[in-house]
Amino acid sequence: MAKRMRRNGYGLPVILAIGIHVIALLLTILRLPESEPEPSSSSVVQATLVSDVTATDQAQYAQESRARNAQRQAEEEAQRQAEADAAAAQAAADEAQAEQQAADRQAQADAERQAAAEQAQAEAERRQQAAEQAAAERQQAEAQRQEAEAERQQQVQAREQAEAEKQRQEEAAEKRREEEAAEQQRQEEEAAEQQRQEEAAEQQRQEEAAEKRREEEAAEQQRQEEAAEQQRQEEAAEKRREEEAAEKRRQEEAARAAAEAASQDALADSIANEQERIANAQQSSQASNNFINLVKRAVEDRWHPPANAAGDLVTQVRVRLGPSGELLAATVTRSSGNPAFDRSATQAVEAASPFRELRQLDPGLQRKFRDFNLKFTPGDVQ
Amino acid sequence: MNDSMSIPHLIMNASLVVQLVMILLLAASIASWVVIFQRSFALSKARKEQKAFDERFWSGIDLNELYKDVPENHEAQGAEHVFRSGFREFNRLMPKTRSSEAVLDGVQRAQRVALSREEDRLNVHLTLLATVASASPYIGLFGTVWGIMGSFQSLSMAQQATLSTVAPWIAEALVATAMGLFAAIPAVIFYNRLSAVASRLLGDYEDFAEEFHSILHRNLQGRGNQAA
Repeated sequence: MAKRMRRNGYGLPVILAIGIHVIALLLTILRLPESEPEPSSSSVVQATLVSDVTATDQAQYAQESRARNAQRQAEEEAQRQAEADAAAAQAAADEAQAEQQAADRQAQADAERQAAAEQAQAEAERRQQAAEQAAAERQQAEAQRQEAEAERQQQVQAREQAEAEKQRQEEAAEKRREEEAAEQQRQEEEAAEQQRQEEAAEQQRQEEAAEKRREEEAAEQQRQEEAAEQQRQEEAAEKRREEEAAEKRRQEEAARAAAEAASQDALADSIANEQERIANAQQSSQASNNFINLVKRAVEDRWHPPANAAGDLVTQVRVRLGPSGELLAATVTRSSGNPAFDRSATQAVEAASPFRELRQLDPGLQRKFRDFNLKFTPGDVQ
Repeated sequence: MNDSMSIPHLIMNASLVVQLVMILLLAASIASWVVIFQRSFALSKARKEQKAFDERFWSGIDLNELYKDVPENHEAQGAEHVFRSGFREFNRLMPKTRSSEAVLDGVQRAQRVALSREEDRLNVHLTLLATVASASPYIGLFGTVWGIMGSFQSLSMAQQATLSTVAPWIAEALVATAMGLFAAIPAVIFYNRLSAVASRLLGDYEDFAEEFHSILHRNLQGRGNQAA
C-alpha cells in the first residue's frame, strides 16, 4: 500500500501526454490524404468550363502579337520611308514624264491660256504687224497646228499608258498592303487632279484651238513659242512649287498616318497587355485544365460503352498516375450499378494510359493531377 | 496526394511568429495533458484511499490501534492525515489540560490545518489547467490574426487574388487557432471534472473531520461525566 501511495510522480503522465499528442498528429497526417480524393472531383468539373482559346495560347499570342507589332511598326516605318522615297522617285519619274508630256501640254495650254490674255492685248498690235505676213504664215500655222494636234494625240496615248502604268502600280501596291490605301488615295487623288487638270487643260486647249482656229493668226506661233518658252520656265517654277506643296502635303499626311498608326498601336499594345495579364491569371489553372481535357479526350477516344447502357448511368473512376504519367490504378469509386458499364469505363482509362503529358506540367501541378476522378455518363466523359 | 495542404506541411511553412505560437500552444497542450493524467491518477488514488480509510475507521476498530497501526515513516494523506493530526493533538493535550473545551479547540485547529494542507494538495496544478483552458484560444487566435495579416501583406504584392492563392495562407493561419482549441478543450473539460472530484474529496474530508470531532467530543463528555 505504501508503494502504491508513493507512485504519485510525473513520469507516467508525461509519457501518456506525449503519446496522446503523437497519436493526434498521426491521425491528422493519416486522415487528411484519405479524405482528399472527393474534393478533387471538383477540379474535373472545372475542366468542363474551359473556353475555346486557352489562356496559355492567349498569353503566347499576346507576346507574339506584341513582337509582331514591334516588327510591324519597324517595317511600316521602313516601308513608309521606302514608300515616301519610292513615291518621291515615282513622282520624280512621273513628273519627269509628266514634265515631258505635261510640260509640253500644259506649257502650250497655259501658254496659250495666258497668251490669250496677252494675245488679247497684243492682238491689236499683232494684227497690225501680222496683217502683212498673215497670208504666208497662215499656211505654216495650219501645218504646225496639224503637227501640234498629232503631238497632242501622241501625248494622250502616252498619258493613257502612264495612267495604266500608274494603275498597275497602284494595284500592286494595294495587293502588297492595305495600309497603303491612304497613299493610294493620295496618288489617285493626285492622278485625278492631274486628270482634272489635264481635262481642264484639254478643254481649254480645245477652246484655245477653237479660238486659235477662229483667230488663225500666224504671228501667234512666234509669240507662242516665245511665250511658251517663258511660260515653260514659269510652269517649271510653278510645278516645282506645286511639287513642294504636294511633298509637304504628303509629308503631313504621312505624319498624320504615322500618328494614327502610333495611337492605334498604343491601343493595341494596352489591349495586348490586358489580355496577357488576364491570360496569366488563368494560365496556371487552365494549364491543368488542359491536362484534364487531354485525359478526357484520350479516354473518350478509347471508350466503348456497352450497347445496353441506359441514359442515367454514372460511373466515377478514380485514376492514379505515376510520376511520368503511367497508370497506377483505375478503380471504380462510384458504381453505376451496371457492371459492364463500369468495366468499359476502367478499360477506357487503361487503354488511354499512359498520359505522358503529365510530365509537361509544373511539379506542383503534377502532384495535384496524379490522382483525380473521372465521371462517365453515356454520351460523354466528365 | 495534396501534400501542400496537409497539416504538418502547413505548420512547417508558417511564418516565424505563427510557428512560435504553435510551439507555445503545443507546450501548453502537453503540460495540460501531463497535469490531467497526473491529477487523474492522484485523485482516483486519493478517493480509493479515502474509501479504504472510511471502511477501516467505521469498522469499529479502536482509535488508538488505528493510530498506531499506520507506520510512522508513511506520510498520511487525505482523511487519514486529518485523523492523525487531530488524534495526535488530542493525545498530546489530554495529559496537559483537564478542560475538554481546550482539548477540542486544539484538535479542531490541528484538523483545520490538515484540511487546508489537503486542499492545497488536491488542487495543485489545477490552476495550470485553468490557465491553459482560458488563455490558449486567445494565443491561437493571435497566431491566426498574425498569419492572416502576413497573408494579406503578401497578397497586396500579388497581381490577382484567387481563392487558390489565399487559401494556403489562411489554412496555415487557422492551424494556430485549431491548436489553441486543441489545447483548450481538454483543459476545460478536465479542469471542471478534476476540480469537482477534488472539491468532493475535500467535502468528504470535512465531513470526516466533523464526525471525528464529534466522536472525540462524545468521549470527552463521557470522561467528564466519569470524572464528575
